[in-house]
Amino acid sequence: MINSFTLDWFFITLIFSAGLYCMLVSRNLLRQFIGLEIMSKSCLLAVISVGSVTGNLALAQALIITMIVIEVVVVAVGLSLLVKNYRLTNSIDIWSLNNLRG
Amino acid sequence: MTYHTLLFILVATAAMTAVMARNLLLSAIMLALVSVGASLILFDFQAPWAAVFELSVCAGLITVLFVSAVSLIRNEEGKVKDLRARFYAMPLVIAIVAVATWFYGIPFFDSLKNCALSGGRNNSLGSILWDIRRFDLLGQVSILAAGVFVINSIFPRRKKQK
Repeated sequence: MINSFTLDWFFITLIFSAGLYCMLVSRNLLRQFIGLEIMSKSCLLAVISVGSVTGNLALAQALIITMIVIEVVVVAVGLSLLVKNYRLTNSIDIWSLNNLRG
Repeated sequence: MTYHTLLFILVATAAMTAVMARNLLLSAIMLALVSVGASLILFDFQAPWAAVFELSVCAGLITVLFVSAVSLIRNEEGKVKDLRARFYAMPLVIAIVAVATWFYGIPFFDSLKNCALSGGRNNSLGSILWDIRRFDLLGQVSILAAGVFVINSIFPRRKKQK
């Protein structure tokens, strides 16, 4: 019989692989961010799962709150760069981000 | 099947739908559903502070950011030539990952639980991080300020032309 922790981590692995797959196959910058968000969610669930098992829920919550703050800043800055890039190059394709090529 | 497992299945399904959806707006909404599911899981883990943060910030603010970005790049949405076959192949890839994890990952996760339990008893790092959390808060505020400055520098105020 599989215990709850192991089953949680099974699903966390699936969620992480979905986000990773999205980042690997998509050329759309916005989808890349969506993949990053999904991966970040799976990491969040991993932290709380381990925190629950070890009895360190307070520490896990503190780490998660820090993680959420950083996540928001990353997404806000990333999306603003995306919109700026769209205004400059009229494209959201990652292969168009080659202006700095030597 | 418990409520807890059902929530994990909901999050995994919403994540897969967010990846596979052709429409970017649907992807953003499915991402919000992933956040809602994650916050319900956090509530289920008796972690209400993190759950409220997750629900308000990730399901609320980040969704608004994504939806506004989608609306700003609306015309460009269909022009990026993503190979749709790769997205349709995703359930197969996830199924392969699931089977591999079922056979190889689960013994590892069992051992991981033992490691976590043995590491969790020696909680000096935890107490240090928790007791000296003022520095942590300072770091968070600096990161938020850095984000605001970056956005401000990317979108400068337009000067009126004479």
